Amino acid sequence: MTAEAVAFWAVAGVLVAASLGVVLTPNLFHAVLYLAAALVATGVVFLLLAAPFLFGVQLLLYAGGVVTILVFAIMLTERLAGERITQTSRWIANGAVLAAAMLVGVLGFLGRAPQAPPAPAAPDRTVDVARALTGPFALPLELLGALLVAALMGAAYFARPED
Amino acid sequence: MAGPALAVLGLPFAAFVLLAGVPPLRRRGRLAGALSIAAVAGALGVALDLWRRGIRVEARWTWIPADGGPVASVGVLVDELSAAMLVLVTGISFLVQVYSLSYLDAEPPPALGRYYAYQALFAFSMLGLVLAPGFLQMFVFWELVGLCSYLLIGYWYARPAAARAAVKAFWVTKLGDLGFVVGIVMLWGATGTFDFAPLFALAARGGLPAEGLGAILLLVYLGAVGKSAQVPLHVWLPDAMEGPTPVSALIHAATMVTAGVFLVTRAMPLFALAPDVLALVGWVGAITAFLAATMACVEDDIKRVLAYSTVSQLGYMMAAAGAGAPEAGFGHLLTHGVFKALLFLAAGAVIHALGTNDIFRMGGLFGAMWQTGTAFVVGSLALAGVWPLAGFFSKEAVLAGVLAGGRPGPFLLLAVTTFLTAFYMFRVVFVAFLGRPHPGAHPHEAPVLMTGPLWVLIALTVGLGARAAGDGTAAAHGPGWLAPLSLGLAAAGVLLAWAMYRRQAPAALRLAGLLAPLAFVARKRYGLDALYAAAYRGAILGLSLVVGWVDRYVVDGLVNLWSALTLRGGDLLRRVQSGRAQDYVYGVAFGVLVLFLWAQWVMR
Amino acid sequence: MGLHAYLGLAAVVFAVGLFGVLTRRNAIGILLGIELMLNAVNINLAAFTRFHGDPTGLVFALFTIAITVAEVGVGLAIVIAIFRVRRTVEADHLTLLRG
Repeated sequence: MTAEAVAFWAVAGVLVAASLGVVLTPNLFHAVLYLAAALVATGVVFLLLAAPFLFGVQLLLYAGGVVTILVFAIMLTERLAGERITQTSRWIANGAVLAAAMLVGVLGFLGRAPQAPPAPAAPDRTVDVARALTGPFALPLELLGALLVAALMGAAYFARPED
Repeated sequence: MAGPALAVLGLPFAAFVLLAGVPPLRRRGRLAGALSIAAVAGALGVALDLWRRGIRVEARWTWIPADGGPVASVGVLVDELSAAMLVLVTGISFLVQVYSLSYLDAEPPPALGRYYAYQALFAFSMLGLVLAPGFLQMFVFWELVGLCSYLLIGYWYARPAAARAAVKAFWVTKLGDLGFVVGIVMLWGATGTFDFAPLFALAARGGLPAEGLGAILLLVYLGAVGKSAQVPLHVWLPDAMEGPTPVSALIHAATMVTAGVFLVTRAMPLFALAPDVLALVGWVGAITAFLAATMACVEDDIKRVLAYSTVSQLGYMMAAAGAGAPEAGFGHLLTHGVFKALLFLAAGAVIHALGTNDIFRMGGLFGAMWQTGTAFVVGSLALAGVWPLAGFFSKEAVLAGVLAGGRPGPFLLLAVTTFLTAFYMFRVVFVAFLGRPHPGAHPHEAPVLMTGPLWVLIALTVGLGARAAGDGTAAAHGPGWLAPLSLGLAAAGVLLAWAMYRRQAPAALRLAGLLAPLAFVARKRYGLDALYAAAYRGAILGLSLVVGWVDRYVVDGLVNLWSALTLRGGDLLRRVQSGRAQDYVYGVAFGVLVLFLWAQWVMR
Repeated sequence: MGLHAYLGLAAVVFAVGLFGVLTRRNAIGILLGIELMLNAVNINLAAFTRFHGDPTGLVFALFTIAITVAEVGVGLAIVIAIFRVRRTVEADHLTLLRG
């Protein structure tokens, strides 16, 4: 077992466990915390995939920003309701079946694909990413900025105080 | 050589076309009448010429061409049979049209013009029927004649009774016509032709198929049953009296109703090959004669008496034809045409003067209307078969023919009918023309345009009888006891009528009392009318009930079912739109799965 | 570890996220499931870059993250707005789109 393999299996186990926790736990707050764990684990996966830049972005935006937003939202809705919102699920069996089917489907695809040869150690692609972002993907980058502004304004409008 | 015959046909047709197509002409009533009368007079002249000279012509032109010879042809056939009919039709038509000028003088001119247009059309149709060289043309004109009958019976179309009578005539004869057309088509199917000459030649050679022929001829005979008012399709003729009296005289005494007898006589070479059918014809004729005579004995309407009398005499003619003596039947057709028209026109004069048809509202008419009275008495004597008037000879010929044909049953019926005929006619004479005048009646003699034709017909009746008597052929008819028998029966009938209605003799009245049940049944017309009405109504209403049910439950039901299914389906499908986003994600995930499956297994 | 391993991992996380979206009653819970699914997609993209050498995968992953952030922000704002009006965030009760 190579070091990478050990690391992979370890992170994979954490990630899957955290994900299951997100969807199964009754307490919403705990679910958010499990999500944070999952997001961090994903970031480690990115590291394994030789994408440290992505790892950084993941931690900053996801594990930091998104989780914070979620926590705030829960607190707001919880406070407004005046009670702890519990989490119950419906139609578990149906959902499990469908999700399992989806998994089987995708894994089926994977199974048919020919095994790729183990790739050599990959160089750091960050510079290439930067070149791409300022090159062919410059326009999408600008549009992304516009999107974020729009999202900001939208969120501010939606969450405005009532009057 | 076909020229004169075509002229006879063409003159009335031209008159009809002019009257139908030129409304200003038609609206001048008496002018239209003059035109039609002139046309018929011309046709009469040519017909007399044809008959006198004994000309025979047959001409045929192709109507529907086909590869193996024409499918249908039209033309003219002039022989002794049709020549005599030509004279009869044009002659009586002429007299009736002149008479109508006076009889219908109270009609508004446009209506009168319409009447004469119909009269011209009728003359054309009847002549076309008589001149037909084949079954197809005869059938076409048969139907045309039926149409004219409808139009003329319903001349006073604003009267509900007249309209109903016209429709009834049309329907009842149509029933017979159905048989006729099916029969002639089947005949064509078996032989390939409609025309008489080839058919008779085939019959003489023995080339006609024997098995189906009886059925075919029976069907053809059905047409005659309808048109010549044989039992059970006789019910329309009494009701047809709703039309003007001259129409009754022309169509329902002398010409149209005789078309059935004419058909049987014309097709005798074919009928001779089917003795069973002929036997049926004979029996039906005799029964018709007897039943109609009984119904005439209890009628109070003078025209109805004459109508039943016509039915009875038509039965005589058919019985003769059925016994294998078509010449006797045809002879009776000719003489009957003359004196029945005379009787109707005389009755018309009475009705025109008094305004009523009921004989018990008349009485002693001889005093005020001696010309009409003479006409009626002469006609009654002829009808009763009193020597030396024409009716005696023709009726005796019929009886002789029936006896010679070996038909004792019909003979007996016809003999009793002779007695009844004399009885009911002289019943009318004694009640209406003799005796005390009815208090409310104010009779006056008819104008000359009406009495003129009457005298012509009287002369013809007497003249035909004198000719037959002088011919010496009277002696050749039947066994020696036949003439005295028929005369005796007629005398007995007259006597009984005199006893009952003139003398009011108690014995006679007791006899009448004994026969009261029969009289009752006769008055109810043996229930036939009611039977037909019930069957007709039942069939039509029944059919409409069924159709209505099918429409409501099957057709509407299908549509309603469809709409219900759509609504139900819509309700079911609506549940998919739950409004919950998660359910929609379900749909998306499911669709992606299907895509996976498709990609994995189908696209491989 | 080969490409398949990473793709398989991503598939598992995706399925779990899908399960969460389908079964969670709370609207925010549903959003969490969506987060997981998007995460799995990112893993896929990064794996493709690693094993095929094309940096486009990483670029896409970056974009995905940015857009997801915007989406979460707006989504939660909507949830709060709904909560204010309806006093509930239970997905079962939000049936205004019902046909």
